[in-house]
Amino acid sequence: MAETIIPTSPAQLRDAILWALGDKVALEIIGHGSKRAYGHAVRADYVLDLSKLTGILFYQPEELVISAYAGTPLAEITALLAQKHQQFQFEPGDFPRLLGGQRDGAVAGQAPAGTLGGMVATNISGPRRLKSGAARDHVLGFGAVSGRGEDFKSGGRVMKNVTGFDLSKLMAGSFGTLGVMHTLTLKAMPVPEKTRTVLVPCEDVVLAGQAMTAAMGSENEVSGAAWVPASMLAMISPDAAETGDVGSATSMVMLRIEGPEQSVDWRAAALCRLLDDIGSAMVLRTEKSLSVWQAIADVKPMQSRHDCILWRLSVPSSSGGAVVQALGRIEPNVDAMLDWAGGLVWAQFAAGSVEQAGKIRQIAVDAGGQACLVRAADDLRREIPVFQPLSSEINRINRKISENFDPHNILNPGRMTPGLAQGGVSGNQAVGA
Amino acid sequence: MLKMPEPDQSVLARRTDIIAAMRAIVPASGAVIAEEDALRPYECDGLMAYRQLPMIVVLPENTAQIAAILKYCHQNKIRVVPRGAGTGLSGGALPMADAITISMMKFNRVLDIDWDNRACVVQPGVTNLGITRAVEHRGFYYAPDPSSQIACSIGGNIAENSGGVHCLKYGLTTNNVLGLEMVTIEGDVLRLGGKALDSTGYDLMGVITGSEGLLGIVTEITVRILRKPETARAMLLGFPDNQSGGDCVAKIIANGIIPGGLEMMDAPAIRATEDFVHAGYPLDVESLLLVELDGPEIEVNHLIDRVSDIAQQCGAVYSRISENEEERALFWSGRKNAFPAIGRISPDYICMDGTIPRGRLSDVLAGMQVFSQRHGLRVANVFHAGDGNLHPLIMFDANQPGELERAEAFGADILKLCVEVGGCLSGEHGIGIEKRDLMPEMFTEDDMKHQERLKLAFDEDQLLNPGKVFPVLHGCGELKTLHARSVAEKFPDIPRF
Repeated sequence: MAETIIPTSPAQLRDAILWALGDKVALEIIGHGSKRAYGHAVRADYVLDLSKLTGILFYQPEELVISAYAGTPLAEITALLAQKHQQFQFEPGDFPRLLGGQRDGAVAGQAPAGTLGGMVATNISGPRRLKSGAARDHVLGFGAVSGRGEDFKSGGRVMKNVTGFDLSKLMAGSFGTLGVMHTLTLKAMPVPEKTRTVLVPCEDVVLAGQAMTAAMGSENEVSGAAWVPASMLAMISPDAAETGDVGSATSMVMLRIEGPEQSVDWRAAALCRLLDDIGSAMVLRTEKSLSVWQAIADVKPMQSRHDCILWRLSVPSSSGGAVVQALGRIEPNVDAMLDWAGGLVWAQFAAGSVEQAGKIRQIAVDAGGQACLVRAADDLRREIPVFQPLSSEINRINRKISENFDPHNILNPGRMTPGLAQGGVSGNQAVGA
Repeated sequence: MLKMPEPDQSVLARRTDIIAAMRAIVPASGAVIAEEDALRPYECDGLMAYRQLPMIVVLPENTAQIAAILKYCHQNKIRVVPRGAGTGLSGGALPMADAITISMMKFNRVLDIDWDNRACVVQPGVTNLGITRAVEHRGFYYAPDPSSQIACSIGGNIAENSGGVHCLKYGLTTNNVLGLEMVTIEGDVLRLGGKALDSTGYDLMGVITGSEGLLGIVTEITVRILRKPETARAMLLGFPDNQSGGDCVAKIIANGIIPGGLEMMDAPAIRATEDFVHAGYPLDVESLLLVELDGPEIEVNHLIDRVSDIAQQCGAVYSRISENEEERALFWSGRKNAFPAIGRISPDYICMDGTIPRGRLSDVLAGMQVFSQRHGLRVANVFHAGDGNLHPLIMFDANQPGELERAEAFGADILKLCVEVGGCLSGEHGIGIEKRDLMPEMFTEDDMKHQERLKLAFDEDQLLNPGKVFPVLHGCGELKTLHARSVAEKFPDIPRF
């Protein structure tokens, strides 16, 4: 069991990294450790635990900005934002539950576990991604200590800022491999007054994709568009599951609209008319809608089977339906659900293999997208790159960035790609305990 | 005056060979410009106080040519200055005497409009407004709209991460770009992002956006297009002082309303624009808000009522709501012509671009009045109030000895104040050469070294757009030195388990 170092201030964090640099020891960086099973296993001598580097530095609702130390529980931050009717617009879902990871610091059934830093380092996002972007789009600035043991910052606390390179983008989604963030400043946005969900029964996944495309292309400012198959409906919307025409649930297209009451009612009616040919719609009001979209953000139907392989395919939205059909040709019993108007395909398989992974990746690439292995047993994650492999030209730039920020490869080595994190020493060096 | 890197005489000595090499790569007639008269139009961008003739200008027309040019420049250690439409206000496209200026204006085609995925693939020389023009017949538009949108290129927008008046609700360029094709200085072609939303690996597309031509040359761009809102209505709200105007902005946002546009002008800006375009602006107010609400008509009308109430509570002394599209356009015409309006009342002006936390607006405006007296120059303010981005317009006469220097010193004072209150040097115009030497106001040595380390990962020889953004270029060796310390006792203060 690796020894754990727990800094409680940015200065202590820097000391810890300087020490690691001096002694050439590798660090695994964790917050709550809730997303530790996402990505490759890190081979490190010590664990650098940020969960005690906590505290909100400032929150100014009228400026739409919140700043906190990276180890602050996300639950604490979302609760504070909620008091002022604000939220992170990119809607981070409950990845920890999906992964079956630790849930320290969260009350079950409430806000997602994990820390602010972990949320940004993994760049997670939920259903509103199609309208409002991911975590990367909402980070205004950060402070971090790089693998060189130097404290550096970028960005700031204002909405518009082109002062120097936008290193916030580089850090978001870098899985702690370039620097350890200690301070983060993000944009908060108002919670919409009302929410409506238009549910349209639609068994055919390709037709469902077309329905979502039509809705997104309309003037109705759709902020969530998902397709949930009949088998998963009860997990997402018990109400919808009970109203199946023939006594059993049907698959559903779900469209979310948000805004002032008059507006959401008007737009819900407009969407019902638009999709009248596909099926007769029902509309959920705010409370039920919030629960539906939380369940979609959390990928609730796929939380329970931790023994199943889970893939997340990001593809051009109009191809989502066809991608689900293609996945069905690999494995007829695949469980698949669409979010982002078809641009995000969650696919769960009872078992996995290197060969199957190759086929899944090919389907994603043929559609113009990519596939990420979100959940799999350790042995499979050693054999299959978790993240979509990149071109050699892009890898070369990524490797140089990694070398320049973390020259001795002491931060989360192997987390993103085994080859990259080994500093180019080996093409595909295996990692693992 | 700002110091630029010294021209490399050994490169200048090879000028004839370089011209021949460029003509071999880009054979089209007129695509390699080497005559002084023909180079003249390229001597500056929108920051016209600084001029320098480029060594040569090349106008390639496809990605393969760019790759060949950059590969040649990399092998022969020749500096490169990328250039879009030349409308930038920070001198990001200022040429160098020993550098090739690569103009992207032949990359002017819309390649693909993908209605189903709400994406548009364009070449970088297409104008910002050109994208909207290409998609508006089906009710779509491209959201970021810098005031130069009729002329500025989308490639330049990527370089500067341009904003506009709709950023608060619809985001900046970086939030509206889905994919990029770019060429590195070594001639490699990278394809980043695309019509799928997620990518893997470091977010190179995110760091290229706003990198001011220092990391590579972008050759193709996929942007997100949006369905045009059903209705938009604008309101003019006048206040007796800047404080109450600023309070109104804060209250609108604190009430959960995110307007499509939220602009503010101070008294000098109101008067200058009204004299110029006769938009019907009230002349007896000190602060004027232009609020635009967009969406379904029923929502817009509801929000107009709410904003009217908030304005009343904040002491508005003037309120007018656009009743039709002509009137809405008229309201905007004042704001959109603020720069030329100032140009009419002053021989010259410089436009600053700091961003501040909105709550500090009246402090910053008061500070500007002090600076105005200290430097003996007038200032007018237009302000993207929703996102805190200030555009103070400092008026001066370049023909009066010392006035340009005074105007620049005035501008520097304003930007330092912006940083002091928690803001930044540039909201949307970029650092370029204009604000380069102010970077240490905001960043420490270590902050800047990490930015430069990103630069080195793309361009180790620092050939792309040298002299821009960073005041002192650290040598490669200095950036790579490690200051590790081996601590004998392992940091005793830190709790460990």
